[in-house]
Amino acid sequence: MADLHDSSSLTTVDSVGLEDLDELNDLDGLDVLGGRGAPVSAPPDHGPSPGPPGDPLVRAAGLLRTHPVIDGYSGLAPVLRSMHWYDLEAGESLLETDVPRLRSGGVCAQFWSLQEPAGSAGSPSLGATIELIDVVRATVSQCPEGLRLALSADELADSRNCGRVAALLGPMAGEALGDSLAVLRAVYALGVRSVTLAGARWTQGGLTPFGHEMVREMNRLGVLVDLSGCTTDTMRRTLRITRAPVVFSHQAEPLPDDVLHALRGNHGVCMVPCTAGTLPATADLLEHVRETAGPEAVAISGAYDTGLPHAAGLNDVSCLPRLLAELLERGWPESEVMGLTWSNMARVLRGAEFAARAAQPRRAPSRAAIGALDL
Amino acid sequence: MDTPTELLQQARELLAAHPVVDGHNDLPWALREHVRYDLDRLDIAADQRGRLHTDIPRLRAGGVGAQFWSVYVRSDMAGDTAVSATLEQIDVVDQLLERYPADLARALSAEDMEIARDEGRIASLMGAEGGHSINNSLATLRALYALGVRYMTLTHNDNIAWADSATDEPAVGGLSAFGHEVVREMNRLGMLVDLSHVAETTMRHALATSVAPVIFSHSSARAVCDHPRNIPDEVLALLAANGGVAMATFVPKFILPAAVEWTRAADENMRAHGLHHLDTTPQAMKIHEAFEAANPRPVATAATVADHLDHMRDVAGIDHIGIGGDFDGTAFTPAGLDDVAGYPNLVAELLRRGWSDADLAKLTWQNAVRVLRAAEDVAADLQATRGPSIATITELDAL
Repeated sequence: MADLHDSSSLTTVDSVGLEDLDELNDLDGLDVLGGRGAPVSAPPDHGPSPGPPGDPLVRAAGLLRTHPVIDGYSGLAPVLRSMHWYDLEAGESLLETDVPRLRSGGVCAQFWSLQEPAGSAGSPSLGATIELIDVVRATVSQCPEGLRLALSADELADSRNCGRVAALLGPMAGEALGDSLAVLRAVYALGVRSVTLAGARWTQGGLTPFGHEMVREMNRLGVLVDLSGCTTDTMRRTLRITRAPVVFSHQAEPLPDDVLHALRGNHGVCMVPCTAGTLPATADLLEHVRETAGPEAVAISGAYDTGLPHAAGLNDVSCLPRLLAELLERGWPESEVMGLTWSNMARVLRGAEFAARAAQPRRAPSRAAIGALDL
Repeated sequence: MDTPTELLQQARELLAAHPVVDGHNDLPWALREHVRYDLDRLDIAADQRGRLHTDIPRLRAGGVGAQFWSVYVRSDMAGDTAVSATLEQIDVVDQLLERYPADLARALSAEDMEIARDEGRIASLMGAEGGHSINNSLATLRALYALGVRYMTLTHNDNIAWADSATDEPAVGGLSAFGHEVVREMNRLGMLVDLSHVAETTMRHALATSVAPVIFSHSSARAVCDHPRNIPDEVLALLAANGGVAMATFVPKFILPAAVEWTRAADENMRAHGLHHLDTTPQAMKIHEAFEAANPRPVATAATVADHLDHMRDVAGIDHIGIGGDFDGTAFTPAGLDDVAGYPNLVAELLRRGWSDADLAKLTWQNAVRVLRAAEDVAADLQATRGPSIATITELDAL
C-alpha cells in the first residue's frame, strides 16, 4: 500500500505544477492530512510533517479530519463526458480533481454540476442533463474505493464515515426542466438534489406564479433551490417564499446586504467559489458573507474543472486547506471554520429534507402547468 | 357440454389463480387527454364506464393481476419534448400507485409481480412505446429503466433514426448499428425488447441480436388477419428458440379482416373530404358518422381474438403467447371485450374451444412472468461482464 500512496503523492505534486518551489514546500504541509489515497479517517502512513506548533496549515488539517469539506460545485461531469479515458482513483493530471487530491484537500463530498460550463453553445437541455447524470453514476461505480453516490444527508454522513468522497447530483439547470413539474419529480427520482433557477423562463421579473410553484415543489421533494447567478429580484422573491434553506452554489459576485440578511433568516448558505483573483480575495468574499449573513451562512465551492481560472495557491482541489489556513490566520474561530467546511452545508441538506418531510403529508404533487399560471 | 354460464364461472375461477398479465394499456395517455393528469377530476377507483375502458373495479372484475401501463407519447414528438412527455407519463403512473395503494402495486421484477398477485393487488409495470422516448440516447434509456420502465417498443407508428416501423416506409432496413446497440443495452439492463409496431425487418434484426426473450406487447397473427401491425408466421416461429412471448391484441382494425377493409374505406372517405383520417373535429366527426351510418362497422368478438390465439399457439407454441388488449389505446373494442372487465369472456371462449387449464394459465400469467424473469437473469449475467454502453448514434450510424 505504501507504494501506491507514494505514487499518488507524486500525482499530487505534479498536478499543482513544478513551476514554483515554494508551492512544493507548501504541499509538504498538506501531507498532514494523511490523504494520498487513504481514507481521511485513517492514520497517515508517514505521520504529519513536522510543522511549527500552531502552524495554521496543521490546524486546518486537524479541523478537516473531523469536519471535511462539502464542496458545492464541481465541473467534472461535463469534462469527463468529453474524455475518452480517465482514472480518478489513481490520479488524473489533466484534471483539477481526482481521488488522491480530494483526499489531500480534505474534501468528503462534492456537488457534481449537471450543467455545461458557462459560455457553452446552446441552452441547457433535458437530454444533456440526463447524459450527465449517467456520467456521474458511471464514474462513481467505477471508483468504488474512492467515490460514493449520496442522495441524502444520512448517506453523505455514511459516505464520510466509510472514507469515501460523496458525489451529490446537481445543481442542474432549471431551464432544462422544460417547465414541467413532472420532469422535476423524475430528475429527483434519478438522484438530482439541487436545481439552479437562473435562466429558467419562470424567473422573469423575479419569479412568476409558475416559478413559485416550482420552488414549492422543490421544497416538497427536498431539492435544494440554487440561487447562484439569479437576478436580485429572483433571489428576494425566492427567499421570501421558500420553506426550505436555499443555497448559492457558486456565488462569485458579492450579494447585496438585504439578500444576505434574508439568507441568514432562511438558514441557507452562500458558497463562495475559489475563483477570485487571489487566495486572499477569496477569503475576503467569505468574510463578507460571514460578516453580513453570519458564520452559519458561509460555505465553499471549489468550482474546479469548470474552466474558470483559480487563484494562485488554489490551483486544484488539494489546495483547499490553504484557504482554511488563511481564515485561521485572520482569526476565524475553529468552530466557524468547521461550519464553513462541513456543518453549514450538512445542516442545509438536513433542513431541506426536514422541510420535505413536513410538506409531503400536507401537499400533493403539484400538477400546475405553466400555461395555466403564467398567461 | 358446459353452458356459457358454467364456462364463464370456470374462467373466473381460473383467473383467480392465474390472473391476466396484460401487455399494453394506454390509461396514462387517456388521463393526459381527458383531464391533463388531474386525478382529482377522474377517480379510477370509481366506475368510469362510458369514459374509459379502464378503472379499478373493472380490472378486478376482469381478473387482471398485472398490467404493463404504456407510457406512450405521440410519435411526432422528438428530442427533449418526447423525453419530458415520457417522464410526465411515468409521473402519472407513480401518482396512481400513490393514490391507490390497496389496489395497485409497483412492480419492477417478476418477483414483484408474484408478490403483488399473492397480496391481491394488481402489479403495475411500465412500458415505453417507441424509441423516440429515448431521444437517441442510451443514458436516457438507462434513466427510463431507473424510473421503472421494463419494456420499450422499438418504434411506434413512425420510423425513428435507428429502427423501421411496420407502418412507415422502409428506411434503415430494420435496425441500424445504433439500433442493435440499443437492443444489447436493453438486454444488459433487463428491459424487455418489444417488437409490436416494428417492421418485419426490425423484428428479425432484433431477434437475431437479442440474447434475452423479446415480447410483442400488443400484436396478433398476420396469417389470420393481414395487417402490418400483426406478426408474420415466420417470425412467430422464431419465438420458441428466443423464449419470448407474443401478446395478442384486441384492436378490431388489426384483427378482423372486414374491419381492416372498413377502416381503409373510412380513412379514404375522410381524405376524399380533404381531411386527415384521424381528425376528430366536429365537422370531421359529422362526415365520419355519415359514413358509419351508410356502412355499418364490422364488429369483432372474443371469438376473433380466440382465432388469433389458436393460430399463434399452433405456430409459436403454447409457451410463447399472451394477451395485450390495448385498452384505452383504441377507439373500438370487440363485443364481449368492450373493456378491461372482458377477459373472462375470452378465457371462456378458449375453454369452449377445449384449451386446458394448464394452457390457459400459461397464456394469462405464466408466460409473461417467465419472460420478465428470463430478461432479469440475462441482465445479471451481462452486467457481470459488461459496463453501460457509451456508444452514440453519431458514432455508430455515422450521422
